[in-house]
Amino acid sequence: MKTQKLLATRGLIILALLVVAGFLSLSGRLAYLQLVKGEEYKAKAEAQQLSDTVIKAQRGTIYDRNMKVLAQSASVWLVYINPSKIKTEATKQLVIDGLSQILEVNPETIKKKAERTHVGYELIKGQIEKPVMEEVLKFIQQNKLTGIVNIDPDTKRYYPYSGFAATVLGFTGKDDIGRAGLEYLYNDILTGTAGRVVTAKDGRLEAMPNQYESTYDAIPGTNLVLTIDEVVQYYLESALNHSLQETKAKNVYGIVMDVKTGAILAMANLPDFDPNNPDLILDENVRKQIESIQDEKERNEALLNAKYAQWRNRTISDSYEPGSVFKVVTVSAAVEEGLVNNNFGYTCTGSIAVADRIIRCWKHGGHGSQRLPDLLKNSCNPFAVTIAKLVGTEKYYEYFEAFGLTEKTGIDLPGEAAPNEGVTYHSKKNFGISQLSSYSFGQSFQVTPIQMITAISAVANGGKLMQPYVVAKEIDAEGKVIKEISPIVKRQVISEKTAAIIREHLEAVVTSGTGKNAYVAGYHVAGKTGTSQKLGKDGAYVASFVGFAPANDPKVAVLVAIDEPVGEHGGGAVAAPVAGEIFDQVLPYLNIEPQYSDNELALLVSYAPNVVSKSVNEAKNEITRAGFTARVIGSGDTVVAQSPESDRAIPKKGVVVLYTESKNTSQEAVVPDFKGMTVSAANKAAINNGLNVKIAGSSLNSGEVFAYRQSIAPGEKVPLGTVVTVYFKSNVDVSDSDE
Amino acid sequence: MAEKAVKRRRKSLIRMAVAEGSFDLVFFITVTLLLVIGLVMLFSASYPYALQKYKNSTHFFYRQLIFAVMGFVIMIVLSRVRFEYFRLAALIGFFMSLFLLVLVLFTPAVKEGHHRWLTIPGLSGFTIQPSEIAKLGLIMFCAWQFDKNYKKINSKELIKAPFAHSLNRITNGRIRITESFASLVLYGGIILVFAVLVFLENHLSGTILMLCIGLIMLYLGGFDRRWFIAGFLLVAFVVAVFVMFPSLRPNILQEYMTERIVAWLDKDFEPTGARWQVNQALYAIGSGGFFGAGLGNSKQKYMYVSEPQNDMIFSIVCEELGFVGAVIILFLFAVLVWRGVVIGLKSKSRFGALLSMGIVFQVGLQTVLNIAVATDSIPNTGISLPFFSYGGSSLLILLAEMGMILSVSRYTSLKKNN
Repeated sequence: MKTQKLLATRGLIILALLVVAGFLSLSGRLAYLQLVKGEEYKAKAEAQQLSDTVIKAQRGTIYDRNMKVLAQSASVWLVYINPSKIKTEATKQLVIDGLSQILEVNPETIKKKAERTHVGYELIKGQIEKPVMEEVLKFIQQNKLTGIVNIDPDTKRYYPYSGFAATVLGFTGKDDIGRAGLEYLYNDILTGTAGRVVTAKDGRLEAMPNQYESTYDAIPGTNLVLTIDEVVQYYLESALNHSLQETKAKNVYGIVMDVKTGAILAMANLPDFDPNNPDLILDENVRKQIESIQDEKERNEALLNAKYAQWRNRTISDSYEPGSVFKVVTVSAAVEEGLVNNNFGYTCTGSIAVADRIIRCWKHGGHGSQRLPDLLKNSCNPFAVTIAKLVGTEKYYEYFEAFGLTEKTGIDLPGEAAPNEGVTYHSKKNFGISQLSSYSFGQSFQVTPIQMITAISAVANGGKLMQPYVVAKEIDAEGKVIKEISPIVKRQVISEKTAAIIREHLEAVVTSGTGKNAYVAGYHVAGKTGTSQKLGKDGAYVASFVGFAPANDPKVAVLVAIDEPVGEHGGGAVAAPVAGEIFDQVLPYLNIEPQYSDNELALLVSYAPNVVSKSVNEAKNEITRAGFTARVIGSGDTVVAQSPESDRAIPKKGVVVLYTESKNTSQEAVVPDFKGMTVSAANKAAINNGLNVKIAGSSLNSGEVFAYRQSIAPGEKVPLGTVVTVYFKSNVDVSDSDE
Repeated sequence: MAEKAVKRRRKSLIRMAVAEGSFDLVFFITVTLLLVIGLVMLFSASYPYALQKYKNSTHFFYRQLIFAVMGFVIMIVLSRVRFEYFRLAALIGFFMSLFLLVLVLFTPAVKEGHHRWLTIPGLSGFTIQPSEIAKLGLIMFCAWQFDKNYKKINSKELIKAPFAHSLNRITNGRIRITESFASLVLYGGIILVFAVLVFLENHLSGTILMLCIGLIMLYLGGFDRRWFIAGFLLVAFVVAVFVMFPSLRPNILQEYMTERIVAWLDKDFEPTGARWQVNQALYAIGSGGFFGAGLGNSKQKYMYVSEPQNDMIFSIVCEELGFVGAVIILFLFAVLVWRGVVIGLKSKSRFGALLSMGIVFQVGLQTVLNIAVATDSIPNTGISLPFFSYGGSSLLILLAEMGMILSVSRYTSLKKNN
């Protein structure tokens, strides 16, 4: 039995060893692997099993209010390589040669990327267009490079109008994320939701059975419909552009607003940028200046500053002293409080004493005896101070607040400057009689252009202060309206009655006061000019004009500000004509019916009767009877052609050229230089040259206005009878400051 | 009359061979459970690979099922045979094992450089591993011999050969070639021959298993434990020298073998995907968590774990059945081993005990080594998991072995009843 015992002992020893060293320790090992490290391994397993492909969502389109596309994303592609799959030198060279040629990328760059064989993704080029993509695809197929060279969808943002409403629209970065303007503010809703395809792949990178695949569709971004009108924006930008060239100002900016709703019809800052290429400095002078900087660090800094400067939406981000424009608020307060009426008289002696100082009127001799309507018309400082004193500091401050000058307007654009109590305006505590006096004619505080036009629009809108806005609607990809923005009335600032009185005062400013250069025949433009010296910058001014039309039933408000004009710097002299140009184009476009006075009718355009194929005498009589001058070319008996044709508008008393020989139906005339001519001189010069003149700009008192611009350059040859638009403005009594 | 006598004699002969009494139910149930679970898991683990490779998801399962049924029948039949008759089979098994081990070296390699498989003529696609047969052959041979020569094994007397006596005389009795020592040399030599033959197949894991089985059998055989201690110290010394002086290492390991050892030591070693297989197994095991992904829900079996029906099947078991399932299966294997030892000891027969214990220790050792590989506890070697891994011939042999143990267990119960 001893032998059996030994066997039992040894058998049990092995059994114990096997159970303890084997089964028990393996159970422990399993517990560690499955319970402690389980999640980690599971994550690693899933990482290799699940292939997660992101489907980019199409970024929403931005439309103007007439559904014209202002910004749109297009499908483009990107090409990347998987260096870890490049196994031979020959393949590498093939990839380098092929891609560098098709994509126009430096072969060295591709070589460096292709040699990073431990990585699986190296981007070669993004945002490539379809034809190039197709060429790459062909290259891949022909050379069997599937998996080595790959194509993925990419997106690109297009702004069809290039540098158009740039500061409003903003731009997107290469990553398709909005960086400025509406693109930035509405980025989240424009972006949409990226989709995903999660596929379970087996070890051979083939799809596992279906149950492991799930697709999450991409939801395209929401489209924005703006209040911006492409045509109005175009008129605003072209008028500002003229002004920028003529005044050589640092910046010019303007806003066109629907006074009834607060909707922004146009908003522009010049010089701005092209959202298609926001990093390019558009201002050539600035660009050259930066390029000439030797020090690299300095140059980069200058470049960066220039970029920020051109991206800046100054109409909402910059603040300025409004100057005389602000007298509108002063008068409104006094009238609303019932302290003055139109018969209220004041005699300006050229200065007024306030507290410890003397405030001078810009007109050294003084304006003499005036009534209330003359305050705005003459832009008289002592008069403004006087009625502000009647209102008193406390009440005046209330109006200052009521007109929204201590708060953001709340416009849906990023970067609106916040009024800063104690910095951009005085706190109520510090608002004494001397501050009151300065405020009464728009000095010693700052507002943003958007605040100013919103305040003036309240006067135009029967006293209701609106919240300005740029986005009218959010619509989905199918065109269904997701959200429609309704105008927000912030408050009734002054009564309808007061507003009506002020509107009349403001129309007088344009018809016979400092704003006469903003005059547009038939449209009852009302407005106020302003000129202010820039703080801490000698000889630098901001010239501005804020107005609206028609005065009897206001529809649109326009603000034009010219930042640091060179030479002439008065609001009435440089800003008002720009506003006039804008009104002149925008009001007819908006189908606002003109109401002409007799004076205006005399200068109106008209249409000549059709006299083609009539006898020369008969034709001549008919043309003359219609009030035009006939000019006969050739010796034929019947009229074979007339210029301008019967359906083209010509100024009254204009020239109609009658051609009598069929061989000779288009004689040319040389356009004279109208600059500096009066209206009658210009008319005369035109008729002498067989041309017609369309009078634009201020022309009511034709004696004191002079031509400053013409639509066709002097010396150019044009067919006889052509209509040349000539712009006039006044240099008399348009000043509103003592500078 | 004569006819009757012949009939009676024949009957009694058969009766002599038939084992009486009932077999060990616990052991039988454990075997059956492992067989059924193994088949189910084989199907689950193998179908994606079968589908991918053979366009037939049941390719591996059906083949394994056929062998399982055949094996089960063989097991029942063998359980009915008096285990004393297995002594006869031991001698046949011993020579057949040697013959096959030599034969396989001269047949064309199934896989480049690996002469492990023999193709049975007439049965295309069906191969057997001589080393599988040899393992059983060695166990049976040892059990038979160690039972028969037990006295010699423990004898301190000199062997009869004259030179032993003269050597003893010359050295003044210092060198004594005892019967025990001579037996150790003889059987150790035989075991080494088996191991070397398997090593020549380029089959490292088989060699290690063969050596381990031999060692276990020698230990159970009752050789003086000082030999084992001395042997252990010698091996430890050699290993230590090789570790400290790599240049002294004999160049017997093939490149892939050393690579697998390095891959086990350095978890980031990944020159030619040496760790791929093990990492995939670990991902599968880890993904299982406590309760597992559920039967059939493994994702790692989709071409991640390579040949999931083979050596790495346990990782899929872990992924689908979780920690709970894996531990239950480990427990079943432990019960199998424990029960085999108990059966052997109860049999009151040295041969029965050595046979039964030898077999269950081999199965237990193979199980532990396989799971140790799957869990990255030891370097990757190709050891299959009994009852689970795909392989017809080895399943047949395994079930035959189980039949033998059942037969031994009948003897025990019979004795008890008497």
